[in-house]
Amino acid sequence: MIPRRLQFIVAALVLAIFAMGSYLVHLKRKAESIAAPPAAQALTPPVNGPAGQITLYLANDQEDSLRPVTITSALPSDPGERGRLTLHTLAARYLEKDSAHPLGAGADVRDVYLLDPASAVVNLNPAFAESHPSGIEVEQLTVFSLVLTLKAQLPQLSRVRFLVDGKSRDTLAGHIDLTGWYDVAMVTEAANELK
Amino acid sequence: MPRVSFIAARITSLLLLLLTAGFPAEPRRIVVYTPQTNYQVDILLRDGVDYVGVTDLLEPLGRLESRSNGRKFTLVFNGGAAEFQDGKRQYRTSANNKLELASNFLLIDGRGYLPVASLVQLLPRVTQLTAEFHVAARRLFVASTQFRYAAELRHSPSRLVLTFPVPVNPSSVIEKNRVRLFFRREPVVSNGADNVSYSGDSFLLSSSFAEIPEGAEFIASVSQPATVSIGDGGHTVTIAAVLAAPAGPAAQPATQESANHAQSAAQPANPAPRARPFVILDPAHGGSDTGSVLSPSLLEKTVNLALARRLQKELEARGISVVLTRSADNPLTLDQRATSANTSRASLYVALHSSSSGHGVRVYTSMIAPSQAAQTNRIFLPWELAQSPYREKSGSAATALAAECSAEGLPVRTSAAPLRPLNNITLAAVAVEVAPLGNSAGELASSEYQQKIATALASAIANLRGKLEAAQ
Repeated sequence: MIPRRLQFIVAALVLAIFAMGSYLVHLKRKAESIAAPPAAQALTPPVNGPAGQITLYLANDQEDSLRPVTITSALPSDPGERGRLTLHTLAARYLEKDSAHPLGAGADVRDVYLLDPASAVVNLNPAFAESHPSGIEVEQLTVFSLVLTLKAQLPQLSRVRFLVDGKSRDTLAGHIDLTGWYDVAMVTEAANELK
Repeated sequence: MPRVSFIAARITSLLLLLLTAGFPAEPRRIVVYTPQTNYQVDILLRDGVDYVGVTDLLEPLGRLESRSNGRKFTLVFNGGAAEFQDGKRQYRTSANNKLELASNFLLIDGRGYLPVASLVQLLPRVTQLTAEFHVAARRLFVASTQFRYAAELRHSPSRLVLTFPVPVNPSSVIEKNRVRLFFRREPVVSNGADNVSYSGDSFLLSSSFAEIPEGAEFIASVSQPATVSIGDGGHTVTIAAVLAAPAGPAAQPATQESANHAQSAAQPANPAPRARPFVILDPAHGGSDTGSVLSPSLLEKTVNLALARRLQKELEARGISVVLTRSADNPLTLDQRATSANTSRASLYVALHSSSSGHGVRVYTSMIAPSQAAQTNRIFLPWELAQSPYREKSGSAATALAAECSAEGLPVRTSAAPLRPLNNITLAAVAVEVAPLGNSAGELASSEYQQKIATALASAIANLRGKLEAAQ
């Protein structure tokens, strides 16, 4: 016969285990909700400035095409910041669930530096290149899309160079060359050969 | 003082050790000689056993399909089949024969590896072709491709004439008292009398023949400066004494001075012209550079190489000479690829890529801005603009390739692309990227689809031949 006192202690311990277990689960969920990364989508930050039109050249992998889409958005007056916001908006479109040219999670454009009105340096974040799908066509569409979209926002632009995390990189994802300057006129001409 | 010497010796040995460690050993390869082509296959060393990749070995020999399912690996070659299991020696052929390999079969990342020691036993069963393997030299002769030579000492003047049943073009090294001929591409084997002493001859002392790793070497010991010449369309190689008065520039012998200074650099035997390929095919990526991952079990580098081999066969069937920048799964830098193309003296460079994105075939040419191209009226061109003078030819080639693909019913487009090493190539240069017709990347591994593309590209290249050669 188990003493009544011992039964009471065992029952109390079992209850304490369940209570602590459920509290642990609660704490874990809370921690996860705090640590969870923001959605893969690059959110467009609020911008002060007059509303203007942005033309995004959206790539489509299946159709092998680049199509201009115009949207309205508040735009900063600084050309470099305007360029960055435009490309950031473009990257955000590619991160949408039903994108026709999906990029890897977290892909974003960090900075656009204007050396002069005709020369821009675009600094991509590491996730942009690391998680980019590999292939000539798919990489070409991305680069052309970025160059044409930037050109549409900065009409004086004649050449663009890409950096990844502030550093020069050989290729975007194993194919398309990122070591040199892109001649915007040449990109425009080559893009015209797409559908 | 002895202490200083001791420390110096230790430092030197440490430096030597570091230097040795800094230069990795050359990868070992098997040279495979077949009636159609020669190629090299990298050897993988596992647990003290030499292995070769099934795909690397069999793909150039015929129509190969392979698939892995768990630990099972099945290959279908020209209709026959064999089934292997990872870590097992037993395998089964389509004739339901249960056979045994010399060591366990290996399956790594979906790729099958066979023990080298079993190749002679396995190849005839799987390919119905005979195989002879010379272990020390790592030379594999498929379908009795090997041939023997005959050596004959002739007099007035004294000379050694080597006769071959097929044309050869060995490299030669002429040293002070000996001549060495290297046969890298030719499947020359022993004639049974490899070490000969020529007593009584004033010029030739002795000769020897030996198979060396990945080739064969013939050495003639001579008493005076010698010269090597190839005649009868490559069927004979003659080693003769240098004449006192040269007969003419075509038979220019080595001078006494140059003969006295041992020439260490290998040089092609004079005066045979170097074989000039029409096309250089560049299967992109290789080794640790896998290219894109087309599907969990299919890598771009594998499809590119398979397509290149198929295209090589199609071109050779049309009488077009072809070289490949790589014929096995080995890495090459972009500069190495460009250098191979630029020194090949070929008329057309074709880089081969594959992608799971999009549909059909894309043909790319270099993207050089007109402002940059205007800089090309200089004697020396920047490396990144080397393609500038050839853009028009490349454009014509791209158009012709696209037209033929379109005629074959393949979706196709042409475009300029910033893709290295196209900008660095000094001949007509295009890149072809192949994507599936449907939505499955597995289609890229299908023999039918690859064959369709290879046939279309080969037809286009055959049509381009006259035009490009005339322009060159």
